[in-house]
Amino acid sequence: MNNAFYITAAQLAKAGFENTPDELLSAKHLIYSSPATLAFNSPGAQGFGVKRAGLAIPGSVMLLVSPGCCGRNTTMQSRLCGYQDRFFYLLLDDTDIVTGRHLTKIPEAVKEVYEFCDKKPSAVMICITCVDALLGTDMDRVSRKCEELAGVPVVPCYMYALTREKKLPPMAAVRKAVYSLLKPQKRHPDAMNILGYFSPLNDDSEIYELLTKAGIKSIREISRCEDFAQYEKMSQANFNLVLNSEARYAAQQMSETLGIPYIEMMRMYSIDKIHNQYMSLASAIGVTFDDSEHYSEAKAVIEDFGKRRGKLNFAIGEFLNADSFELACALLGCGHGVSEIYGTVGERNFRFIEKIAKLSPETKIFSNLSPTMLDYEPSGKTIDVCIGNDAGYYHSGVPTVDWNEERQPFGYAGVKLLFEKLDEALKGVGK
Amino acid sequence: MKNLLKLLSPFAPDQSGAVGVLYELDGLVVICDAGGCAGNICGFDEPRWSTKKSAVFSAGLRDMDAILGRDDKLIEKTAMAVGQTKVRFTAVVGTPVPAVIATDYKALKRMAENKTGLPAICVDCTGTRLYDDGEQRAYLELFKTFAMQKYETEKGRLGVIGCTPLATGYMTDSLFRQAYGDNAVFFGMGSGVDEIAAAGKCEKNIVISTGGIEAAEYLKQTFGIPYETDFPMTPAMNSVLENDLDGKKILVVHQQFAANKMRRSLKEKFDCTVDVGTFFKLYNEYKQDGDCFIADEEQLVQKVRDGGYDAVVIDNICNRALRGFEGQLIDLPHFAVSGRLDENGGQTCLA
Repeated sequence: MNNAFYITAAQLAKAGFENTPDELLSAKHLIYSSPATLAFNSPGAQGFGVKRAGLAIPGSVMLLVSPGCCGRNTTMQSRLCGYQDRFFYLLLDDTDIVTGRHLTKIPEAVKEVYEFCDKKPSAVMICITCVDALLGTDMDRVSRKCEELAGVPVVPCYMYALTREKKLPPMAAVRKAVYSLLKPQKRHPDAMNILGYFSPLNDDSEIYELLTKAGIKSIREISRCEDFAQYEKMSQANFNLVLNSEARYAAQQMSETLGIPYIEMMRMYSIDKIHNQYMSLASAIGVTFDDSEHYSEAKAVIEDFGKRRGKLNFAIGEFLNADSFELACALLGCGHGVSEIYGTVGERNFRFIEKIAKLSPETKIFSNLSPTMLDYEPSGKTIDVCIGNDAGYYHSGVPTVDWNEERQPFGYAGVKLLFEKLDEALKGVGK
Repeated sequence: MKNLLKLLSPFAPDQSGAVGVLYELDGLVVICDAGGCAGNICGFDEPRWSTKKSAVFSAGLRDMDAILGRDDKLIEKTAMAVGQTKVRFTAVVGTPVPAVIATDYKALKRMAENKTGLPAICVDCTGTRLYDDGEQRAYLELFKTFAMQKYETEKGRLGVIGCTPLATGYMTDSLFRQAYGDNAVFFGMGSGVDEIAAAGKCEKNIVISTGGIEAAEYLKQTFGIPYETDFPMTPAMNSVLENDLDGKKILVVHQQFAANKMRRSLKEKFDCTVDVGTFFKLYNEYKQDGDCFIADEEQLVQKVRDGGYDAVVIDNICNRALRGFEGQLIDLPHFAVSGRLDENGGQTCLA
């Protein structure tokens, strides 16, 4: 039996990003969609893939124009998430994909879908897939024809798995699509939007309080818009706060078309970094934030956990509401150990790997997607707790915090919630 | 509009059918896609994914790989994976991407064999066809590649073709063993490529999925092995028989051989009329008057409306399309339609 490939943080940091081994680069090997990775490795398998994300516009429906295989998983998604009345499919046959003749059928299909819906949709999202990526379909033109025929806004979204490592990957493109129906209107100085996720931040996140105390009256997130009228008000924002880099292109588009500037923050678990980010945000929007109480509370939770549980050894996955490597840095900074990380090494997070190399040089870094993970067997230091259900898959029986709920953790409140969840998972485990 | 689904979701595609056949054979299966098709297969259409490891990988194609036809890169990646895993052969399963760019599978097969030194097969799937089409292509390729030799016939040895979760709702061979005995070989389920190679030992083949007919015909032509069609009685089928269906006109919708078995059982127990409808392959040799192929949800509604049926036995995910039907709707799960396994009592399965 072969062993799963890994490299230690020290080896990787020493080699440098440019010399990342092929086994850690998904473009260089076949891709193992292990049970650990399914939730995030398929653009539409679970969670918010392009299809579900495309329905973020309140009252919209989606017409998936593709071979049947691309819509297959939607059976499950529709049933579990209550979307069964919002998905429609125009199936392509062999002749369609060779000749592109399906393009002439789409306007009629959109009209038929619109007429079929008892409650008329606010918009029809047309989702196209790899076939049209290769055919070079001009979907903007087709969408305009659809609008003329059906009399409803039509927005294309692109589930182009072929372009996952491009400048505008599918999940970034769909974020652009869902804000594309906003029209310029008078901006309000006390209004702002949070961009990045398709579900709201946890209600108890201190970011709401800090912004409100600084004079912001309307904080809008697309997932909190109950109807299209509320969605339309998002163009009143004075600025956009981008919390996920995949929303950067959407923010750029809104800057160009609506004149709304944007500021970018990153979700972090190191409380000092969280503090620094809040101070930078306050400075950028010309206000002051007093986050000292939240900082102290989060610090107390971390210290209390450490006292009660002692030094724990973690395995960290990547299907979670965090950057695996930043989270590892934060836990190492709290005095815990991190033996294994299953993550995707990129230019953006390499700085965290360099930090991990200093704090814990022997930390092993695996790629979830490497075919060698088929033979993964736990070895080395005993893992006390896993974060991410992919890590939990590799360490069956070890307490695991999934940390991938749809409601998004953020800031100090996110840190506190994580340690609460860790406590829950470790209940009954002696230390 | 034809091919417009307003109430149903698409059914399991051909590439899922092909992978279902190859899954347990210790091959290295490369789904020739960008990642989404493999994710769908492993995460939805292959329930064994979470219980039984198999070297099924995505080619991880990117736009320039497709545009420039970089087959050599795919073969390099495949050879690298062969060096990292223990496998007996390699298989490339098609998807819409190679269908659009007209991948030359014969060349791919040759290149893979030369580079890895292992037998290779390619299954020409397009993602536009249905699972039994993929099963058919995979079985044929397998038997043509590995079943080269005619052995002396072993008396009583049965070959069962079509034991896949998509066709049967079962991911282990327990039900089939109960139905066909311990002397039967269930190709692709609980058996490996050696059993495929020794297919010529069988006295008779039994085909339980419409995807298995062409392979059975091939084995008949090549080795003279006769075959017949059948389907084992499942708990879900027995539940259907608990309804009072005397004097009723019934439509059974499933894959043809499962539906035929259901019809036989219904007619044995009740004085009733039964037609079979299927979204999948319908072979004339095994159909009766009144049986029909159903192309989409519109045809399903039309068939039920015009057929004068008192009851429809069908996977309950189709009930949405039949909400105007005033007769009795009786559930008979079909994994390829709804992702519900008979083996776990008809619960939805997410692999």
